[in-house]
Amino acid sequence: MSGDAWIAWALIVGAGIVSFLSRAIFVVPGSHLRLPATAERVLRYAPAAALMAIVVPDLALVHGALSFSIENPKLVAGLVAFGLAAGTRSILLTIAGGMAALILLR
Amino acid sequence: MKMQREHALSLRAGALAGAPLMVGVVPWGIVAGVAMVGAGLTQGQAVAMSLLVFAGTAQLAVLPLLIAKAPLWVMYATALIVNLRYVIYSAVLAPHFEHLSRPWRALLSYITVDGMFALFIGRFHTEDADPHKHWFYLGGSLVMWTGWQLASMVGIFAGALIPQAWSLEFAATLALIAVLVPLLHDRAVVCAALAAGGVALAASKWPLNLGLLAAIAVGVVVGLAVARTLPKEVG
Repeated sequence: MSGDAWIAWALIVGAGIVSFLSRAIFVVPGSHLRLPATAERVLRYAPAAALMAIVVPDLALVHGALSFSIENPKLVAGLVAFGLAAGTRSILLTIAGGMAALILLR
Repeated sequence: MKMQREHALSLRAGALAGAPLMVGVVPWGIVAGVAMVGAGLTQGQAVAMSLLVFAGTAQLAVLPLLIAKAPLWVMYATALIVNLRYVIYSAVLAPHFEHLSRPWRALLSYITVDGMFALFIGRFHTEDADPHKHWFYLGGSLVMWTGWQLASMVGIFAGALIPQAWSLEFAATLALIAVLVPLLHDRAVVCAALAAGGVALAASKWPLNLGLLAAIAVGVVVGLAVARTLPKEVG
């Protein structure tokens, strides 16, 4: 457990520093720095790509194997959540609807 | 004296403007609280993470990596990438707050969240010389911070009361979907996300969770390539 505790604290402190710096990088120096246009474009695509890359395996992998079928309740519930998020833009409805779908399908 | 009253009024106006955003913050905070304990953090560690990181997307994104025993640098890189939107917010907010002292600027940076950022820049222009706008920002952000921390505590300390059969960890995935979808506002971003999702699946067996970083890199390249083929979009 002590090894795990060390990793957990290193993660907490490191992620804390990363999160503060990414919010403070322009505000705290207070400079008139502007983002170069290329950086701005990369910054537009990276967060969506990262979130999708985390979400898709959660939905489509069952015990490490691909499962693109309506028999996979997580995949179907995830698609329901995508639909709700697009239609309502509500975090609450997205979570509630996706969980309801998962429970009904099992 | 008069100055202090105006500060209090701006603080209050910000708090009232931010309050409706709590509807989104509370369930998200509870889910993050449950997910942190579910990933094996002690309650003390989970509270520390909630206070120090204060970024739900980054917290939820690194937890599956912690469970999978990914190396620290992969977790840091992932936290940084999902936080890149804050770099944009920081660039937009900087001119609003440049007249403030350094501790003020650090405080307003720490407390920045998506909802209040969007509300603030919708309300104040950069050239808007309102001397009290940082109090407005602080008021709304404090409401969000308090709601987030209380909701996280509920998840951390009462999450164990929720039956395992409800698979509440799935709620964390659903919460990520809820933040992802509003980002998909044009074809290039959609293609970037789809490519990243595909690569993440194909590379799911790669060691050290490097598949995730490869997926993001491919997604960004695809997004940039698709954007080149599109006619200039308005806005």
